[in-house]
Amino acid sequence: MNKTYMDKVHTWGRIWCVASLIFFLCIPVAISLHLGVWPRAEIVGKGLAAIAFFFVTGIVEVVAYSPMLGAGGTYLSFVTGNIMNLKMPCALNAMENAKVKANTEEGEVITTIAISASIIVTTIVIAIFVVIFALNPSFSALMSSDTFAPAFQQVTYTIFGSLAATYFVKHWKISIFPIAAVTVLLLFVDPGIGVLIPVGVVLSMLGAHVMYKMKLV
Amino acid sequence: MFADFKSDGFMYCIILAVIIFVCMQALFFLKKAWARGKELGITTDKLKNAVTSSAIFSFAPAIGIAVTVITLSVALGYVLPWIRLTVIGAIQYETTAAIAALEAAGLTGGISQPVTDPEIFSAIAWVMTIGSILPLILIPIILKKIQKGVSDVASKNSKWMDIMTAAAFIGLIAAFIGRGFAGTGSSKEAIIGDGAGVLSLTAIIASVGFMLFFTLINKKLKKNWIEALAMPLSMVLAMVVVVLINQFLPELAAIEWRY
Repeated sequence: MNKTYMDKVHTWGRIWCVASLIFFLCIPVAISLHLGVWPRAEIVGKGLAAIAFFFVTGIVEVVAYSPMLGAGGTYLSFVTGNIMNLKMPCALNAMENAKVKANTEEGEVITTIAISASIIVTTIVIAIFVVIFALNPSFSALMSSDTFAPAFQQVTYTIFGSLAATYFVKHWKISIFPIAAVTVLLLFVDPGIGVLIPVGVVLSMLGAHVMYKMKLV
Repeated sequence: MFADFKSDGFMYCIILAVIIFVCMQALFFLKKAWARGKELGITTDKLKNAVTSSAIFSFAPAIGIAVTVITLSVALGYVLPWIRLTVIGAIQYETTAAIAALEAAGLTGGISQPVTDPEIFSAIAWVMTIGSILPLILIPIILKKIQKGVSDVASKNSKWMDIMTAAAFIGLIAAFIGRGFAGTGSSKEAIIGDGAGVLSLTAIIASVGFMLFFTLINKKLKKNWIEALAMPLSMVLAMVVVVLINQFLPELAAIEWRY
């Protein structure tokens, strides 16, 4: 890859990351100053201790997702979240459509563009709909009603079903084992999607590696 | 809209600042990546496609995220969940963090009751924020090393790397597809639609079917717009099928084999 561009991406990314960190920490500071009250450290400490698991998944996500998202995509995605259910599928779909590979500079460019576009649209759409909900509680009741709620509950499966159609058709040989393995695993234990994803990725890569060594792919 | 301290003008100023910050960052990277794409010889059509298909694709999930704001709005008002779901974090994390903070403060009603104590509201904001920022600390330190490691491996054996990359993506997809086949529900209560059942299977089969359909049509017609819209259309049409099954075959839709 062109070292100059990638070096610049990391420089920009680090600056924006640090800026984001400071900005996000300023939000609870601003809320506390505005309300004139600071929470007791023991409440915050106990609350954080209860969600310590998310610190671990945070580390795993950075290591597991960054090779797939690319550098620019990673810097962007970890500022805005919703990575598994939105940013990652966006990036994969964009690379498929553009017929570029991950871990190439073309892949880096395409994933960055796709994730940037997704962030802007998502931010604006969320803003519009939240304002509508705040102004019109009956509309928010409709969207969360039994008529429409199932669609939003299943939206993640519709996203990954569409992706599956593309990937599994092209790579059906290395797809059978991970789907079967994850499904069987889930019959015995459901560790939650945060653990299931790295498990699925590891199983899939192991299976593909074995098939590669056996010259089956 | 400006009901109490949770949704006053100051809170709306914060979310406005967040929206501007997030969009500015995205535009910055978009502009830089676009310019580099042109230098690499990627056609303008491909670059525009990346924007269009991602923008259209993001629309329905973004509405879904906005709907999840409702879940937290009873306890926290609309603005804090709106802020949190615009920045790093997802609904499962934000809900857990809010409940953890409430319980740490001695309140056991969960997120079904409005928070009326400013100290507790402030505590929730702190817990939600601090609990989510570790990646922002790690990434500037380790990302370049990770990318270099991946790049070094790729340069030594690109065919193996291509297979491993595809396998990684497939593993990610398999995790979600597997959950649709056999995942348990997200809570101890028997909530229809959160565990594997007819609706999750319908969503997967419908989206796979529509995507294959659009792929076949595009092979014959070879139109850029079909390629760009195939995934978002497949997604939305599959969501419509789910709504129709739930409306017209409710007894079938209620069947779940994992709770």
